[in-house]
Amino acid sequence: MSAAATAAPVSPLDAANPSSNDNNGNKDNDNNGGNNNNNESNEAGNNNDTDQSMSKSQVEELYPIALLMDELRHDDVASRVQAMKRLDTIAIALGPERTRNELIPFLEDVIPEDEDEVIAIAAEELGKFVPFVGGSQYATILIPVLEKVSACEEPIVREKAVDSLNQISSSLSSQQITNDFIPLINRLAKERWFSLHIAATGLFKSIILEVSRSERLELMKLYSDLIHDDSPMVRKAAGKELPELINILCQQFNTPDNLEDLNWNLITNMYEALVNDNQDAVKFLSVDVLISILQFLKKINETSQVDDLFTSLITLINDPSWRVRYMVADRFDSLTNNFNDEKYTLKLVPNIISLMKDNEAEVRKAISKQLPGFAKLVNSADNSIVLKEIVPVVNQLSMDESETVRSALASEITGLAPILGKDATIEYLLPIFVEMLKDEFSDVRLNIISKLQIVNEVIGIQLLSESLMPAITALAHDKLWRVRLAIIQQIPLLAEQLGISFFDETLGQLCMEWLWDPVYSIREAAVENLRKLTEFFGEDWSKDEIINKILEKRQSKDFDNFICRITCLFTFDNLIPVVSSETVKEYLYPFVNEMADDKVPNIRFNAAKSLYHVAQSLIKNYKDIVLEEIKPTLERLTDDEDEDVRYFAQDNLSKLEELL
Amino acid sequence: MDLDSDVQMEDAIDQQHTQQSPQSPQLINSASNLNDIPISTVDPKTQINTLEGWMEQLSKCQPLSEESVKELCNMAIEVVKNEQNVQPVHVPVTICGDIHGQFHDLMELFKIGGPCPDTNYLFMGDYVDRGYYSVETVSYLVAMKIRYPKRITILRGNHESRQITQVYGFYDECFRKYGSSNVWKIFTDLFDYFPITALVENSIFCLHGGLSPMIETIDQVRELNRFQEVPHEGPMCDLLWSDPDDRGGWGISPRGAGFTFGQDISEQFNHTNNLSLTARAHQLVMEGYSWSHQDLVVTIFSAPNYCYRCGNQAAIMEVDENHNRDFLQYDPSVRPGEPTVSRKTPDYFL
Repeated sequence: MSAAATAAPVSPLDAANPSSNDNNGNKDNDNNGGNNNNNESNEAGNNNDTDQSMSKSQVEELYPIALLMDELRHDDVASRVQAMKRLDTIAIALGPERTRNELIPFLEDVIPEDEDEVIAIAAEELGKFVPFVGGSQYATILIPVLEKVSACEEPIVREKAVDSLNQISSSLSSQQITNDFIPLINRLAKERWFSLHIAATGLFKSIILEVSRSERLELMKLYSDLIHDDSPMVRKAAGKELPELINILCQQFNTPDNLEDLNWNLITNMYEALVNDNQDAVKFLSVDVLISILQFLKKINETSQVDDLFTSLITLINDPSWRVRYMVADRFDSLTNNFNDEKYTLKLVPNIISLMKDNEAEVRKAISKQLPGFAKLVNSADNSIVLKEIVPVVNQLSMDESETVRSALASEITGLAPILGKDATIEYLLPIFVEMLKDEFSDVRLNIISKLQIVNEVIGIQLLSESLMPAITALAHDKLWRVRLAIIQQIPLLAEQLGISFFDETLGQLCMEWLWDPVYSIREAAVENLRKLTEFFGEDWSKDEIINKILEKRQSKDFDNFICRITCLFTFDNLIPVVSSETVKEYLYPFVNEMADDKVPNIRFNAAKSLYHVAQSLIKNYKDIVLEEIKPTLERLTDDEDEDVRYFAQDNLSKLEELL
Repeated sequence: MDLDSDVQMEDAIDQQHTQQSPQSPQLINSASNLNDIPISTVDPKTQINTLEGWMEQLSKCQPLSEESVKELCNMAIEVVKNEQNVQPVHVPVTICGDIHGQFHDLMELFKIGGPCPDTNYLFMGDYVDRGYYSVETVSYLVAMKIRYPKRITILRGNHESRQITQVYGFYDECFRKYGSSNVWKIFTDLFDYFPITALVENSIFCLHGGLSPMIETIDQVRELNRFQEVPHEGPMCDLLWSDPDDRGGWGISPRGAGFTFGQDISEQFNHTNNLSLTARAHQLVMEGYSWSHQDLVVTIFSAPNYCYRCGNQAAIMEVDENHNRDFLQYDPSVRPGEPTVSRKTPDYFL
């Protein structure tokens, strides 16, 4: 039964006795509602409802609905929240007509008085209400109540109301938009209260394409008023919505001769207003607007305005407020991409360098992440600039006093390698990487290691490993386990490209050592790594280097420790699918079988799981072993003293029987 | 809920499906949801499937529905009420201290120590309060306890109480996440059944707080009636509240509950009960573990960067089958996707 029904132990008498006169008519409609619900759940595949249980649930449906109506007036906020969450159930039960005539007016009365958390949920639910009030022709009936909610000062509530209004607007006819929705926007935008203006800014995007040309002009003028609003909060909201609005418009009117339809002058004026706003919290929103404008101009190949826009970008880059500079730095890549002209790119070089040297660490951090993208553009314009002007500053940034800047740089810096090419990478970038691999802040080391693949593609694994191997082996024993993990994850790559001979001398030892790491995740990764190595280097190698070494381990003192034994078991278990059934029979199975009698139950039930994998491998060529040895062992384990061993033995025994 | 088992299977699948998208309001609110029947506890196969479904959901840090929590705690009561006041535990086992709702750090703990059931665990209380994910943390541990009762032991800490949770966050979190205090009530009712101490192979005595002047032998702990709210005083209160101290003898605890006890007390207690060690949690220690009383008492604390600001390491203690002890220290988990917070938090007003 529903949460509300079970959670609130109200007797049927209370529930069937809501205070209003809704109750009399309620019952007839409730029956309908009950039927609806049952039909729905039947369709959803709940086919074990017999006739009997259907009539039973009909009766039970009555109470929750009466109860829910009652709960909407409950004294306790939590109960009202719960009831609001089930508003759709009530509406379904009431049917469209009574929802329109009774429920909506009731909500209109009750909601604006209620607590924010209740209103928020009501606002959200109402967005889904178009079908419940009888379809789109009645959708406008939902507008007044949501309009009241959008007056709320609490942003979360207001946003929910705006979202719901947008949702509803999608089902409105153009006449409904003209008669109801546009007047709504007008009312909200002209009321003398900032929170209504903010609500208005969110409503343009859903209908702007649905209206006539003249209406659109009016709406855009209204939006422009909001961009010039007295209250910074409204200007901020309007500025935030503007890029999306521009994108929507530009998708529709994507040819140069449509600039009129777009009201392009209004748009550029709004952009100018944002750029010159005296509040930096508003001003920095102009960066996203600029991107939207540039994207559109690029699409229609219109270049006449680009010069002016570029000038405004330069002023933004040199803005005294660091938040504005941060925003430019953060979006640098898409800004330069959208200017799409070499002369602008080249002019930006001094600017990016000034951002890289910015005295605010957040700005340096943001621009560090944009370097490869910009470098690529500059390089196609003039291939000496990256090396001459940018790399020296990168070198400085790699020693930045802020660890977050270094870390951000480390995460993207390897992307410069393909741009610089092999020789310059070796000469200028590798030393930086090597230094950063020694950084005292572990994230820096980690970020470099996890992006080495790109460098590898440029200079080849041989050179990379020669220059970086000392650093890598040093990090293989890093005290931070995530650094060790990152190194292990690079090993299959190194192995694949270095080949067996180089691999054995330098790294084979390390790979086995990781199996005995104190941290489980490292042991797990080490096991996975050994499986991959076996795949690359083949079974014979694996026998010499892995299987025999593990079997030797059995003689050592470490083997007294259950973690060592279970790790050996996991290693063998992982090797089963990648070696031949002969090897499984000869080497792996005897060991797994031995583990089935271990004194530690955790090892026994893992051996049980493993025995099934062994059986999968042996079933084809050695069916007799499966039948005469493995199956009896599993059967024996189903009588184990430990319940988990019994469970996993039984589980794998049934899987084995399916296999047979 | 004694129904035909065929029907239960259907419902279990139905319910699991519903739970996979608990965030989707449509599913929660849909009228068909009214017909959900709570999952049966009768058929073991269904129960395991359900539990594993819950554990998977919880492992993504998504809380269970209120009905599922109710079901979960009912099952848990059946499991823990039969455990002893001094629950015997076998080696190998990994012993852990306070978690305090730091769910992601609990996941980190399992990455360090290995997943349950492959590794056996003993948690010494304080799963809730302080951190932001008490509900998910305690639900996850309880689900694990039901699924693998022999592989994991969960003791009661001083925060597993009605009174403390109303002050330090668990109550508010339940209210925020479920819209009512029902879930808080369900859990705090369950806490009354948690065992209060554990004894590893008759050698390591494990409990949340420390010793009590009214307890000289472990047998006396066995005689307590633990099925109640943590009292304000008396032996059960002391076991969950006391701290070791450098001063000898018994002292008044600055916490206002329990006592402080000196090395002489620990020596006497370990000797009387033939123990090698008393392991306890309850106190923040910067290295994650800390020896006191000349290695007679160890404090283990498993919430790294406690309260997201203390800058401490966390630790767990692995005891292998030969009683060798090994401490594993770890730092807070890395949560990809979350913005890195630099020391000076910028205010973008975005």
